[in-house]
Amino acid sequence: MSAQDGVEARNARKVYGTGQEKVVALDNVSIVIKRGEFFTLLGPSGCGKTTLLRLIAGFETPTSGTILLDGTDITYDPPNKRPVNTVFQSYALFPHLTVAQNIGFGLEMRGHAKAEVDSTVEEMLALVRMESMADRKPTQLSGGQQQRVALARALAPQPKVLLLDEPLSALDLKLRKEMQSELKRLQLETGITFIFVTHDQEEALTMSDRIGVMKSGSLLQVGSPREIYTRPADRFVASFIGETNFLTGVLGKDAITLDAGGTLPLGASTQAKSGSKVTASIRPEQIRVIETDAPGSLPATVTESVYFGTDSHCHFALADGTEVVVRLQSPASGDVGLSRGQNVFLRFEPGALMVLEDQA
Amino acid sequence: MFNRSFSISRLPGFTTIAILVFVMLYLPIAMLVVFSFNSGTSVAIWEGFTLEWYPRAWANEQVKDATIRSLIIASTASVIATIVATMAALATTRRKQTRGQTFVYILINQPLMVPEIVTAVALLIFFASIKVATGYQGLGYLITAHAAFCIPFAYLPIRARLEGMDLTLETAAADLYATPWQTFRYVTLPLVMPGAIAGLMLAFVTSLDDVVITLFVKSAGQDTLPTYMLAQIRRAVTTEVNAISTLLLGLTVIMLTAFFLLTRKRN
Ligand SMILES: Nc1ncnc2c1ncn2[C@@H]1O[C@H](COP(=O)(O)OP(=O)(O)OP(=O)(O)O)[C@@H](O)[C@H]1O
Ligand SMILES: [Mg+2]
Repeated sequence: MSAQDGVEARNARKVYGTGQEKVVALDNVSIVIKRGEFFTLLGPSGCGKTTLLRLIAGFETPTSGTILLDGTDITYDPPNKRPVNTVFQSYALFPHLTVAQNIGFGLEMRGHAKAEVDSTVEEMLALVRMESMADRKPTQLSGGQQQRVALARALAPQPKVLLLDEPLSALDLKLRKEMQSELKRLQLETGITFIFVTHDQEEALTMSDRIGVMKSGSLLQVGSPREIYTRPADRFVASFIGETNFLTGVLGKDAITLDAGGTLPLGASTQAKSGSKVTASIRPEQIRVIETDAPGSLPATVTESVYFGTDSHCHFALADGTEVVVRLQSPASGDVGLSRGQNVFLRFEPGALMVLEDQA
Repeated sequence: MFNRSFSISRLPGFTTIAILVFVMLYLPIAMLVVFSFNSGTSVAIWEGFTLEWYPRAWANEQVKDATIRSLIIASTASVIATIVATMAALATTRRKQTRGQTFVYILINQPLMVPEIVTAVALLIFFASIKVATGYQGLGYLITAHAAFCIPFAYLPIRARLEGMDLTLETAAADLYATPWQTFRYVTLPLVMPGAIAGLMLAFVTSLDDVVITLFVKSAGQDTLPTYMLAQIRRAVTTEVNAISTLLLGLTVIMLTAFFLLTRKRN
């Protein structure tokens, strides 16, 4: 495998409209997605995820920049010339064709022999467990079944890259979970590069090899789910992926002196200058509540406790009034035993406090 | 269930008016059908049942000629109108509204809005000059004229069909390696087909019963069924004409039923 294997966008920029109505949907995005990777684009609505997919699929051409596939420039190739297939959010199954005909469509258009088309269709039907529905029309299928057909149809021509634009957003929670593991299984079995779009952060964390977090047309951070979660690049990423607490303070040597009092060690070194004012983040599950003072802990007052089933979210006020949320596992009784106004100490797990690199 | 929404069928007198309207619309037609089986020649007095007018009408060379001419014109003109209407609908429905669009709609639907007699006179003058210049006297003029005024009838159901079509389907086809032509052939066309067939039938029926434009455009000896019947009735109302009308009515009913079934099936 050479270095350029996979999908690459180089300074891809997309501007819709002109003059007053000008929208910069993608602002010089550069990214390399490796072959065989399950890559997720994550970001709020309107941040340009679909636009990036459309550039890779060939439905749009970038205003400037290049799209490469395995090192070859495909920027201006029409969609039917690219070994890239899409699973559309609306599924876009052909209503006048049966399930089997839908799945065979791509191979047929490429002029494969009938026998070959038939055997691939059968294989695909088995892969998505839809053998019994081969002769139905799409309108006679449930949402989950249509989803499977859309997947099979996109996989049948064995593309190098599969693009999935929020394919699960129309499904209910249970079906969604099922399809998540189904997708993961298909990706591992076929070895095809998956580029998956979602704005569900949990979905992104559980399914992906790597995640790219986007915001208003820019790629903010790319990394493994673990990296993104534990080392968010900035405030936006930190708060978009999971919940988090922000604490301000002055940076010392491998430690931070919080405005709320106390000096705590940092989890990793930072590029910020010693002595500068910084923001650090810590996840709600990385804080313990203790009764008595101990080194590395801060005094706090309980302000609120919210029950969430498996866990409870307790809100605390630090000495300077900064709000901190702590996630506690709910005991059998469901009551975490903290009442409003109670004075306790919060102990931050060593190494959990991270300075955000982007202090803008 | 208690339902507050407005319903015209609950207004007083609705049923009476509805029945009256249907009687006015269909009683004359029913009488026409009944009297086509009348053994006497009067259109007002029933003298007994007979089928003789049907074979008699068919035996009439002029009727046969007019029928064949009508069918040739209607089928050719409706096919031409449907092809043009399909292309027009493809060009006008699948893009963002532009300023020129309203103008295009008006242009296509012009025959529905301009009084038929105006179109007829205009065509007469236009074709007359061509006739003088080329010397051609054939059915081409009638076919062209019919095709032109049938376009809006074919256009409307096709446009309705295309407007309801998800454009993502064409994107999906392109994504699945279909060339633009294959996309049209295997996705767009099959999806438009029911609309196109409906349009074809509407155009066919419209052409079949046109009188005004045909009268103005036709050369001598180019009677279609409706103009022939009109000429006959001017002399005397014949039961033969009743029989032909009944047959035309039957054909129209069949076409309209098929049209209805085709446009309804999708939902
Ligand atoms: N065809 C278009 N014409 C004009 N503006 C567009 C067009 N398509 C997208 N945009 C704009 O570009 C921006 C990015 O859109 P895009 O569809 O890529 O967002 P997204 O991240 O996929 O959002 P969502 O999560 O809601 O699907 C948005 O501001 C959108 O309004
Ligand atoms: Mg989108």
